[in-house]
Amino acid sequence: MRTKAFFLVLALMLSSTASPAWAQQGKSITLSMLAGYKEDVLRASLPEFEKKTGIKVVVDASPFGDLYKKQLLSLSTGGRYDVLFMDEPWIAPLSEFLLPLNERMKSLDLADFVPTTVASGAFQGTQYAVPVDPNVQLLVYRKDLFEQKGLKPPTTWDELLAAAKAFHDPSKQQYGIAITASSDIQTALYMLLAIWSYGGELVDNGRGSLNSAAGKKGGEVFLELLKFTPPNVKSYNFADVNKAIQLGQAAMAIQWASGARPMEDKTRSSVAGKLGYALVPKAVRQTPMRGVWTIAIAKNSANQDAAWQFATWLSGKEFGQAAVKFPSATSAIHSPRFSVLKDAGTKATLPYADTLLASLQITKERPRLREYADIQENLRVTAGKLTAGELTLEAALKEIDAGTNRILGK
Amino acid sequence: MAAGGAGRWFLLPGLAFLFTIDLIPLVYSAWVSFYNWWLIRPRDVRFVGLDNYVRLGVDPEFNRAVVVTTLFTAGAVALEFLAGLGLALLFAQPFRFLRPIRVLLLLPLFVVPVVGATMWRVIFHPEVGVLNHYLTTFGLGHPPWLSDPTWALVSITLVDAWRTIPFMFLVIYAGLEVLPAELFEAAAVDGASAWQSFRHITVPLLTYIMLLAVLIRGMDAFREFDIIFVLTGGGPGTATQTIQILNYRAFGLGHMGQANAIGIVTLVLVAVMCFVLMRAILRPRGAAQA
Repeated sequence: MRTKAFFLVLALMLSSTASPAWAQQGKSITLSMLAGYKEDVLRASLPEFEKKTGIKVVVDASPFGDLYKKQLLSLSTGGRYDVLFMDEPWIAPLSEFLLPLNERMKSLDLADFVPTTVASGAFQGTQYAVPVDPNVQLLVYRKDLFEQKGLKPPTTWDELLAAAKAFHDPSKQQYGIAITASSDIQTALYMLLAIWSYGGELVDNGRGSLNSAAGKKGGEVFLELLKFTPPNVKSYNFADVNKAIQLGQAAMAIQWASGARPMEDKTRSSVAGKLGYALVPKAVRQTPMRGVWTIAIAKNSANQDAAWQFATWLSGKEFGQAAVKFPSATSAIHSPRFSVLKDAGTKATLPYADTLLASLQITKERPRLREYADIQENLRVTAGKLTAGELTLEAALKEIDAGTNRILGK
Repeated sequence: MAAGGAGRWFLLPGLAFLFTIDLIPLVYSAWVSFYNWWLIRPRDVRFVGLDNYVRLGVDPEFNRAVVVTTLFTAGAVALEFLAGLGLALLFAQPFRFLRPIRVLLLLPLFVVPVVGATMWRVIFHPEVGVLNHYLTTFGLGHPPWLSDPTWALVSITLVDAWRTIPFMFLVIYAGLEVLPAELFEAAAVDGASAWQSFRHITVPLLTYIMLLAVLIRGMDAFREFDIIFVLTGGGPGTATQTIQILNYRAFGLGHMGQANAIGIVTLVLVAVMCFVLMRAILRPRGAAQA
């Protein structure tokens, strides 16, 4: 009898170290999630995950502007999150507090992931996060208007400027292109996109390097483009760019892929079905900006196995397909998997799926530096000063570089 | 004597409470402000003395934020005070539907600042906003409420006024309600005009009440964050970038020393503002009495 009891206890001990799926039954993990924007899609599928695994997921959602701040405070003070939905530029700054996933990643079917999306979760050779929702900037244009004028969608910045000029007619409330020119982060990213295309870099050899011939050319093109935007773009944010397209006011927009889904929603968009999608324009190179949403696990989490199970489910094919079908007007989660992006059903639902995949394959990442959050904030503030007329282009580029060097201790 | 001594002990719970929730965090905040503490580098926390304060002093962005904060505070409080006083004087006269209108007037006070600001962001919206729709209909143009630096400062001031004029009104109205009626009756018998009654009876008797209202609102406006953050985020450029927006940024990026230094500087500036305001308002009255 005692021998039987001994073996029973031994078997239980061994099984708990092996941690099979059923061992996670009854566990609860806390997720830090982006509010509203992607949250709806997640919540719609979450009961299925909870039922299948027995793991309860407590969702703590925050709006985009607060998410990094909340994650930083929580992680650095040994806070309560087990698993975190993170924008890729935050991985380097927060890597200190994240669980390395290199070993665990081997269990995934990595060949099914678009390679650049996997790279978005890595920093200095260590994988800290799994890609969930690949985002990239696209050029959105009105197919019907381009056909009427007999124009082809622009492929270069010069062609983009010419097209924006051709469609710009403020007297009819018709504007060439919708982008932001406010103090919003999108403004800085539009400017950076143009500068990248002309060969400029935000950080090169460890120093701020926007104040270059390429930086000036890209900056000039960005400022020139603002002449063909709707009035009041100085107060625009991400959603306003969408609105300008949905209301049929803008002939083109440069927008993240996640914004394209609401543009195709017939209940909200007067131009649904009339839109075409192309790669962002090029100059000396083509550099669609990458912004992959990833899932990471806190290093101090007591529920790392359950968190990993959640991460694999969220980056999985099943969730990716469910997200495509989710009838959302404001949210969009795209899968990082070839099998989902190339699927006929996906292409039928998301008219921009091909462009998204093509962009992802040549996408450019923002500098992978621990100080990047500060560098991007410096870029945001100074780009806002430029568009508000507080600084000339040259002064703005110098100020961005000076700020970057100060942050990097150079 | 014994009762007085015992009475002091009754202060103890209150003092202990204040000490715990105010003084300890304040001292800790001041202590942190002497450190270089960046949350993403937890192993590199260094004592830097007054470095964080020196940096703020020479930072043009911070100095500009002090100017913007002062302009916003002065504009908002002046507007709110004048409107609140005007409404209080109006409501001091009996008229029909006074009570329901008074309740309606107080409604903005109960709106959560973030919700109110979000609502105004939609109202100010250049394309879908109701304000510009009607202004255009009546041929009054379509001001760039949030996209022009000057208009943006005006807009945040107006929204702050919308939210807090009811507070000014409430405080001043309460003061007016308890003024002794016989003084006004005597003045009327002596042939004083309405303006003379207001200037020589109402204003002197209400000075402390008005000072209190202005001080509370002044401190509040100087620390205003929600409305500005939601409406403009500090933009366009740095047109509405107040000290609190900078503080939020510093905290958000994990610069704890710098953020706490900004907090302490805010405290000092608010204290100086209150001191100057009290001296400016109370001095003539003291001199006259002397």
